[in-house]
Amino acid sequence: MKKIKSILIANRGEIAIRISESAKKMGIKTFGIKTSKEPSAYYLQFMDEIIDFTEITNDIPEFLDIDRIIYSIKEFNINAVHPGYGYLAENPYFAQKCIDEKIIFIGPSPDSIYKLGNKTIAKQLAKSHKVPLLEGSEGNLRDTKHAKQLAKKIGYPVILKAASGGGGRGMRIVEKEEDIEKMLRIAQNEAEKVFADRSMFMEKYVRNPRHIEFQILADHYGNIIHLGERECSIQRKHQKLIEESPSIALNDELRAKMGESAINIAKASKYRNAGTVEFLLDELGDFYFMEMNTRIQVEHPVTEMVTGLDLVEWQIRIAQEEKLDIKQEDVKLTGWAIECRINAEDVQSGFTPYLGTIEKINFAKGKNNRFDTGVTEGSNVTGSFDSMLAKLICYGDTREKAINNSLLALNKLQIQGIKTTIPFCKAVLNHPKFKKGDISTSFILKDMKQLYYQEQDEEMIAAFWAALNHNVELDIEDETYVDYEKGKEMTPWLINKRLKSL
Amino acid sequence: MIFSKSKKSKQKFIACTENNKKYEFNKPKELFIKQGKENLPVEIITDKQGFVFIIWKKKKYLVDIIDKNQNQYEILVNGVSYYISVESPFSYKRRKYLNKNKKESKVEQIHAPMPGKIIEFLVEENQIIKEGEPLLILEAMKMQNEITSTIQGKINKINFHPDDTVMKDDILIEVEK
Repeated sequence: MKKIKSILIANRGEIAIRISESAKKMGIKTFGIKTSKEPSAYYLQFMDEIIDFTEITNDIPEFLDIDRIIYSIKEFNINAVHPGYGYLAENPYFAQKCIDEKIIFIGPSPDSIYKLGNKTIAKQLAKSHKVPLLEGSEGNLRDTKHAKQLAKKIGYPVILKAASGGGGRGMRIVEKEEDIEKMLRIAQNEAEKVFADRSMFMEKYVRNPRHIEFQILADHYGNIIHLGERECSIQRKHQKLIEESPSIALNDELRAKMGESAINIAKASKYRNAGTVEFLLDELGDFYFMEMNTRIQVEHPVTEMVTGLDLVEWQIRIAQEEKLDIKQEDVKLTGWAIECRINAEDVQSGFTPYLGTIEKINFAKGKNNRFDTGVTEGSNVTGSFDSMLAKLICYGDTREKAINNSLLALNKLQIQGIKTTIPFCKAVLNHPKFKKGDISTSFILKDMKQLYYQEQDEEMIAAFWAALNHNVELDIEDETYVDYEKGKEMTPWLINKRLKSL
Repeated sequence: MIFSKSKKSKQKFIACTENNKKYEFNKPKELFIKQGKENLPVEIITDKQGFVFIIWKKKKYLVDIIDKNQNQYEILVNGVSYYISVESPFSYKRRKYLNKNKKESKVEQIHAPMPGKIIEFLVEENQIIKEGEPLLILEAMKMQNEITSTIQGKINKINFHPDDTVMKDDILIEVEK
């Protein structure tokens, strides 16, 4: 067993803080990276040591600069690196480089990352291990003609996906033949930009599916367990906004079946560390393997809340070759947890990013909730980074109680200076169909009439507040008014006379 | 009356919303909002962090002025924004008159919904377009966003080139109806 004494957290925002908390609990020293884009970022306050990247002026974003990160790890004699999510989390080259340099990469082997990260290979793995798949191109699309032929065979709608994609990037749904050429080009351009890989594959598109994913833990010795599911059906353009665990759509039988499939995928790729297997679940209870994410995920706290496990701690323990001593039968899902993502977005104008400064932020901590935030008072929200600021995770004995606790906590979460997705989260949690658990990935598009929650008298309160402030402002102007006319009453006639004399 | 600075003329305010709904407030500084015939008291509280709340009819609302330009306000109430223009009875009349006589503009502008970089234009000048037709690809926060037309018409002018960086609300394309 290798004992980790220090970790470089190669990430920013809330996940950097989250990782530091587990590391601290385990007595591990943390190093953070300071960038010129946010030199006074909140996460830096949680690090034991800070490595300064502010003077670097190249085009590679700091958290993707492999050579520089490796160099720093050696320079400061750090044992391990945790990439968080995004950035270098799913980069097999980085994981290999760590091995070459004798640095512990907190994550799976480069081989697993490569195989599961390439969706075409991942699907072949799934197929050979009898995990159900959606019909589609077995392999990458050759060209537009190939795409057209295949789509005709599968039947529209189809979905185009980047072979190296994720997070909704490089992904397009095509409803009819005349759109396919254009959509393919857009998706390829996007894929090239983000992943430096233009290759695309195609799948049948299932309408109204649920997004169900399974959390996996696997050690170096072939022990693999699943920690139940997360339902992430509340998405907009394939970006998750609200997640929960467990899912109302699963019973014990289906959970066992899907969990077994998830474990099979992990086994097939000789997986170790924490990972997530994503499935689509249709209305009939049939499920299809989508992809496996080889990293800790944004929505991991809902699993932590219902299982009582610390997933980041397990990532570190597995990385230092500890044995996974939890058996599948020991895993119990207790109660219900819901996560609301708080993004700097203007819901009223199509979720466009909202940039600015967080003047004030207030959150009432309770025993049923957890607030993982990457920002604090004075934090700047710039276009350089993702729009997600924080996550509110609430617990309840039942789904109904978890929803009520979430609403109570959202009402007590106040942010001033920027617009956020808080009114959106309230609208979802108040929606009768969501309350019933009747949701699918097209919930936002199909079932929501209004994307933000509004109370009856809010508009009038806004009107009153504007009128009152205007009133006060005019009074101040009056007080500072300089009377050039020395008390002479100004009248329209007097003005007229003056204008003529000019 | 128009030119006098007497306080009397400034006691009545008409707050208009984006959809031209109007709310009238008499002496708002006395902190009452009228409902039907009844004047119901308004309480304003500031917490220790400086958040401002309005309490009316036993309900608490978080309020914030997010943007202001003369008499135009953008107010956030519980995180939802409202565009309010505050008028006096005289300016309200003028506004109504102007609105009535405003000729419908023939040229419609397509604005950038967010700051970002233009990847490519999917249309050309003088092209006839339909409502909902994609116009260009704008990249923001590493996402490529398709900007579609809100109207039907002819492309009059394209104001940018691929690879240009644009700010929010920049006029990207002008469309003649």
